[in-house]
Amino acid sequence: MSDITSKPLPGQERFVAPVDKTPLQSVDNVDESAPATSMWADAWRTLRKNPMFIISGIVIIFILIVALFPGLFTKQNPNYCNLDNSLAGSQAGHPFGFDLQGCDVYSRVIYGARTSISVGVLTTLIVVAVGTLVGAIAGFFGGWIDAVLSRIVDIFLAIPMLLGAIVVLQMFRTSSSIWKVVLVLALFGWVSTARIARGAVLSSKNLEFNTASTALGSTPMRNLFRHILPNSVAPIIVIGTTSLGSYIVSEATLSFLGIGLPSSVVSWGGDISKAQSVLRTDPMVLFYPSLALAITVLAFIMMGDAVKDALDPKSRTA
Amino acid sequence: MTNEKQPEETLEEKINDMQREFGPLLEVKDLAVDFTTDEGKPIHAVRDSSFSVYPGQWVAIVGESGSGKSTSAMACLGLLPGTGHIVGGSIKLEGKEISHYTQKQFVSVRGSKMGLVPQDPMSNLNPVWRIGTQVKEAFVANHMDVSHEKRSNLSKALADADIQIKSEGDETFLGSKELPELMEAAGQALIKAGVEGDKYEKRMEYFHNEWVPGSETRWRVADDLIKSGVKDDDAWYIAKKYVVGSTTTDRAAGLLDEAGLPDAAVRARQYPHEFSGGMRQRALIAMGLACRPELLIADEPTSALDVTVQKRILDHLQDLTNSLGTAVLFITHDLGLAAERAQHIVVMYKGQVVESGPSLEVLQNPQHPYTKRLVAAAPSLSSQRIISYEEKGEDASAIMEHKVNEESLEKGDVIIDVEHLTKEFKLPRRREMFKAVDDVSFKIRRGTTLAIVGESGSGKSTVANMVLRLLDPTAGKVLYNGKDIASFKKDSLLEFRHHVQPVFQNPYGSLDPMYSIYRSIEEPLRIHKIGDKESRLKRVKELLDLVELPESVMQRYPNELSGGQRQRIAIARAMALNPDVIVCDEAVSALDVLVQDQILHLLNDLQTQQGLTYLFITHDLAVVRQIADDVVVMQHGKLVEHGTTDEVFMHPKKQYTKDLLDAIPGGKLELGLNLDHKA
Amino acid sequence: MGKYLLRRILQMIPVVLGTTLLVYALVFALPGDPVKAMFGDKPVNEAVAAQIRAEYNLDKPFIVQYLLFLKNALSLDFGNTFAGQPVIDEISRAFPVTLKLALMAFCFEAIFGCVFGAIAGLKKGKWYDTVILIVSLLLISVPTFVTGFVGQYFLGVKAHIFPVTAGSDPGFFDLLMPAMVLGSVSMAYIIRLARSEISSNISQDYVRTARAKGMSNTAVTFRHVLRNSMIPVVTYLGQDLGALMGGAMITEQIFNIHGIGYLTYQSILKGEANLVVSVVTLLTLVFVICNLLVDMLYAALDPRIRYA
Repeated sequence: MSDITSKPLPGQERFVAPVDKTPLQSVDNVDESAPATSMWADAWRTLRKNPMFIISGIVIIFILIVALFPGLFTKQNPNYCNLDNSLAGSQAGHPFGFDLQGCDVYSRVIYGARTSISVGVLTTLIVVAVGTLVGAIAGFFGGWIDAVLSRIVDIFLAIPMLLGAIVVLQMFRTSSSIWKVVLVLALFGWVSTARIARGAVLSSKNLEFNTASTALGSTPMRNLFRHILPNSVAPIIVIGTTSLGSYIVSEATLSFLGIGLPSSVVSWGGDISKAQSVLRTDPMVLFYPSLALAITVLAFIMMGDAVKDALDPKSRTA
Repeated sequence: MTNEKQPEETLEEKINDMQREFGPLLEVKDLAVDFTTDEGKPIHAVRDSSFSVYPGQWVAIVGESGSGKSTSAMACLGLLPGTGHIVGGSIKLEGKEISHYTQKQFVSVRGSKMGLVPQDPMSNLNPVWRIGTQVKEAFVANHMDVSHEKRSNLSKALADADIQIKSEGDETFLGSKELPELMEAAGQALIKAGVEGDKYEKRMEYFHNEWVPGSETRWRVADDLIKSGVKDDDAWYIAKKYVVGSTTTDRAAGLLDEAGLPDAAVRARQYPHEFSGGMRQRALIAMGLACRPELLIADEPTSALDVTVQKRILDHLQDLTNSLGTAVLFITHDLGLAAERAQHIVVMYKGQVVESGPSLEVLQNPQHPYTKRLVAAAPSLSSQRIISYEEKGEDASAIMEHKVNEESLEKGDVIIDVEHLTKEFKLPRRREMFKAVDDVSFKIRRGTTLAIVGESGSGKSTVANMVLRLLDPTAGKVLYNGKDIASFKKDSLLEFRHHVQPVFQNPYGSLDPMYSIYRSIEEPLRIHKIGDKESRLKRVKELLDLVELPESVMQRYPNELSGGQRQRIAIARAMALNPDVIVCDEAVSALDVLVQDQILHLLNDLQTQQGLTYLFITHDLAVVRQIADDVVVMQHGKLVEHGTTDEVFMHPKKQYTKDLLDAIPGGKLELGLNLDHKA
Repeated sequence: MGKYLLRRILQMIPVVLGTTLLVYALVFALPGDPVKAMFGDKPVNEAVAAQIRAEYNLDKPFIVQYLLFLKNALSLDFGNTFAGQPVIDEISRAFPVTLKLALMAFCFEAIFGCVFGAIAGLKKGKWYDTVILIVSLLLISVPTFVTGFVGQYFLGVKAHIFPVTAGSDPGFFDLLMPAMVLGSVSMAYIIRLARSEISSNISQDYVRTARAKGMSNTAVTFRHVLRNSMIPVVTYLGQDLGALMGGAMITEQIFNIHGIGYLTYQSILKGEANLVVSVVTLLTLVFVICNLLVDMLYAALDPRIRYA
C-alpha cells in the first residue's frame, strides 16, 4: 500500500522533532525533590489552606476554652437569680441583661457552653466507639453476623431519633444528670456511625493489599488491625465531627421540650425554652443563647465539611 | 487502506487524488494546551503539536499515558477536561478555524462533523437511559434525517466519479413497519422469477439477515433482488413501494446493527448494565457514527476489552468507516496496533509530537530516540520480530529478553504441581454452581516460567489464587515440592508463604496507602519475625537497590509513586523473603509499554540471578513470548492448550490459541528486519 | 421489578416487628413504672393501679403484653386514654393536621432545595453559589426551634405577614410559616446534596460523550446531569417525609398546632404512656412505609436496581 501512495499528502510528510527540543528522560524515574507525605500530612496541608477550617478551628478552640474555664469570662454565678432584676436590660457587669427569673443572661450563656460541649463530646465518643465496633464486626465477619447486626441497625434507624429519645427520657424525668441525655442520644445515634464504619471496613477489606498481606503470611486478625481499620478511620472521623454538632442540637431540642436536662443544669436549650414566654416583650433574652448555640453548631459542621474535603479519597491521587 | 488489498489499485489512487483535491479534513498546527493548577500555575499539557487528517484516512496518535495524545484530540472537539484551555496554535476543520469556537459553536460541529468513540465503555454510557435512547439523542441533537442515508463528502465524490448518479430516494432506509410486506413481496417476486426450492429458501434467509430496518437502503434492496434474479423493473418497483423511510427507533437499531450488535432492535431497549464491555463499545461506536461525521475521533476505543473482542471490534470499525468514507483519528498507546490500522502515525511524548510519518516508515526506520525506544519495547512488535527471525531460521535469542532455559525445562525438579484443579462458585440467586476453573493440571519446574494466558472470565486468576492458597479448590490439589498445600496448617502454612510470594495486577491497590514504602517492604520480614530493626533496614535498602529504586523512596507513600514504581515496590516486597516461586497476576498489564518492558527486564534478571520460578498470569500473549518457557492457554475455566512457548507460538493446535495469536496487534505487519525484501 | 418489591416487603417485616418491639420495650419494660407515672405527684392508689395494670395487660409477661398490643394494634385498637377516649380517635383527629403540615414542608423543601441546589451545582464557584452554600450551612446549624422563634418574631410579631400561631384548626395560610420552618433544615441538606451530586455528575464520562454527540448544553444538563443527580435527592426526600412527621413536634409546639407532635408532647406531659407508644409506633410505621416507597421510586429511577 505504501508503494502506491508513494508521495505523502501535504502536511503528512515525514517529521522528526529535534532531539534537544524534547529531551528524553529515563523511563519512570522517581522525583526525589518533592517532599514525602503521608495521607495525614496531605490532609493537613489541604486543611491548613482552607479558610473554613481556620475559622471553625478558632471558634471551636474558643468555645472549648469557655467550656473548660467559664470563670475566666464571668464572675457572676449563673444560678444566682434575683426576681427584682426580672427582664432588666443590660447594665455594668451584665452586658446581656437579665431573664424572667432575674438571672444574668451573659453568665448563663457562658456556663451553657460547658453543658453543650460535654454532651456533644461525650455522646460522640460513645457513638464512635460503639458504632465502630459494631460496624467493624459486621463488615469484617460478614455472613450471618453481618445480617443480624444490619437488621438491628435497620430497626434503630426506623425510629426517628427525637421520638425515640422522648419516649426513653420521659421515663427518667426525675434524674438530674447529663448522662441520661448522653446515653439516650448515643442509644439512637450509634447506628449511623455503625453503618458508615461497616461500609468503610467492607470497602477496605476488599482492597488488594489485604490479599497481598495474607499471601505474605499475615492472619485475618492482623489484617483487620494493621490494614483494614487504619484505612477505615477517615470516614469515621468525618461522621464523628459532623454529628458532634447535631448532638448539641438534639440536646438543646430535648431541653427545649423540657424533657432533656433538668432545669437545675444551665443549658442553652433550657434557657431558650424559658425565654419562649417573653418572646413578644423581650426577644433578646431568647436571642443570646440561640446565637451561642448556632455559632457552636455551625463551627462543628464547618469543621466536619473541611475535614471531609481533606480526607475525601477522590481528591487524592491514590 | 489495509483491508482493500484485492480490489483494483485504481481505487487507492483515486482516493489519494481526491484527498489531495479536498485538502486536509482536520489540520492541527502548533497546538498548545495548558491546564491550570489550584495555585494558578499553568501546566503545559501539549506544546507545538501539528498533525493533519485527510478524508477517509486513518491517522493514529501514539504515546504513553500523560503524553498529551488524548488532550490533543479533545481540544479538537472542544471537550478539554477541567481547567484545560487552548493557548496557542490553530485547529482547522475543513479549512475553517475552530480553535477559538465557543461551546455553542462547537455544538454545531460535534456529532455531525466530528464524532467521538471514547475509551472506557463502562463509564461512557449513562446508566439510566436505554441504549437506543442514547443513540437517538445523537440524531435528535443534530436534526438528522433518519429516513435517508447520509454519505460523507468523500464517498459522495467517489460515487459521483464512479458509479451512476443515484437519485435522492435511493438512499431511503427500510422501516420495520414495511418489512413483513417487503419480505412477502420479495418472496413472490422470487417465485415469479423462477427461483425455487433450496435456492429460494437460501435467498429468503439472506434477505432476512441483510434487510435490517434503519440500515438497509432502497438501492441495496433493489440490488439484492436483482442479484437474486428478479427483473430490474420489478426489483425497483418493490424497493420503491416498500422501502419508504425508517423511524428514529428503526434507525437507532439499524445503527447498532451496523456497529455489529446482534439482535439490535431488542438490544436497543435494554440498559447499559445489561451489556458486556464489548457490546457497550459497539453501542458507543454506533453513537459516534450516528450522524455520519466526516471525522471520527477514537480515543483508545478498545483498550479496556479482551484481545479477541478488541480485534473483532476494530476490524468492524475499519470496514464500517471505509465503506462510509469516514476519516478516523485513532488514539492508542500501542505502536503495533497503530501501525496495523493507520496509514499515518503521529508519535507524542511529553506533550509534543516527536515523530510523524507513514506508518511503516516510522516503524521500520524510527528516527527519534523515543520512537526507537518505543519500537524496541512494544511487546506486540518484539514477539512479531522473534517469530520472523525464527521463521527464517535465524537465531532469535539475541533480541529476546528471556532465554528459554531448556535444561531446567527438561531436567529441573517440579516445584509446583497442579492436579485436576476445579473451583466452583455459588452465584447469587442461582441454583447451579458456576465452574470458574474446570479440571486444570500442569507442572512448573524450578527455575522456569509458566504463563497462563486467557481472556477475562477464563479462570486464570482463580488458578493463581489457588496456587497461593488464597482460595481453596473445590476439587483437585496443588502440590508444592510434592506436598499438598491444603494440608499446611499454621507453621507449615507460614513456611509455605515464605517461599511462594505474589505480585498483583493493580499497582494502586496492592500497597496499603497508609504504609510508607519502608513499612510495606518490611512487612513480610516482620510477619515472619526475621532479623532485628537494623538488619531489616539493611535488607529493605538491598531490596530497593535490587529493583533499581533510590533509597530515598523509603519514606515515601504509595500515592507519590507511579504505577511502575509501585509495581517495583511490590516486587521488592515479594523478594524480601528470598522466595522460590513468585506468582505474577497480570503484574504488568496496567503499565505503559516502556515501563512494562522495564519490569519484564527486571523479572528476567531476577530469575537469572536467583533461580526464581514464575507463574505468570496474563491476557497478553505478546508478553508471554518475551518471558515464558511454558504456556497454558485457558478459556471458560478449561485448559485449552499446554506446551512450550515455541510450540504454542509456532504450531498452535487449537483454534482458540490461533485466534489469540491472530489478535496480537501488529501481527500482519512487515517489520524492519524485512527491509531487504523491499524494493 | 415484582420480585424486587416482594423482597423489599419481606425485608420490611422483621424491621417493623423489631421497631415496634423496641418502642414497646422502651416504654413498658424500662425501669420506671408507667402506672406510677400516671399518678404523677399524687399518692399511688394500689387498687386503681392494679386495675390499670390489668387493663393494659401490664400484669402479664412482657412478651405476651407486646403480642396483645400488636394484635390490638392490627385492628387499630390502641386502647383508651385516661379520660376514656379511644386513642385512635385522638390520633385520627391530630393526624390530618400533621400530614398537611408535613406535606407543605415537603413541597417547600423539594422545590426550593432542588432549584437552589441545581443553581449552585451548575454554577459552582459563582458568587450566588457561595451565598446559597452559606445560607444552607446556617440553616443546618440553627436548630429548628430557633428558626421557628426568629420567624415567629420577625414575620409574625413584627411584620404581621403571617399569623403568629396556627390554632386548633389551621388553614393553608396558617401553616405556611410553620411548614417553611419545618422544612428549612431538610431544604438545606437537599441543597448540599443536589449541589455535590450535580458537580460530580457534570464531570462524568457519559456527560462528555453526550456533548460529543452534539447535544446542546441545555439538553445535556437536563437529560444527563440533572436526571442522574435526581436519584439520591429523591431518595432523601422520600425518607424525609417520614422524618418530617416525627420532627413536627417542635414546630407544632412553637406555633401551637394541634397535630400529632403536639398530641405526643401533651401525652408525655400527662404521662399517657399508652398514647405515646401508639403514636410512636404509628409514626415509625409511616417512616418504614415511606422507606419502602422510596425503594420503589429508586427502582423506577435507576434501572440498575430494577433488574438486579
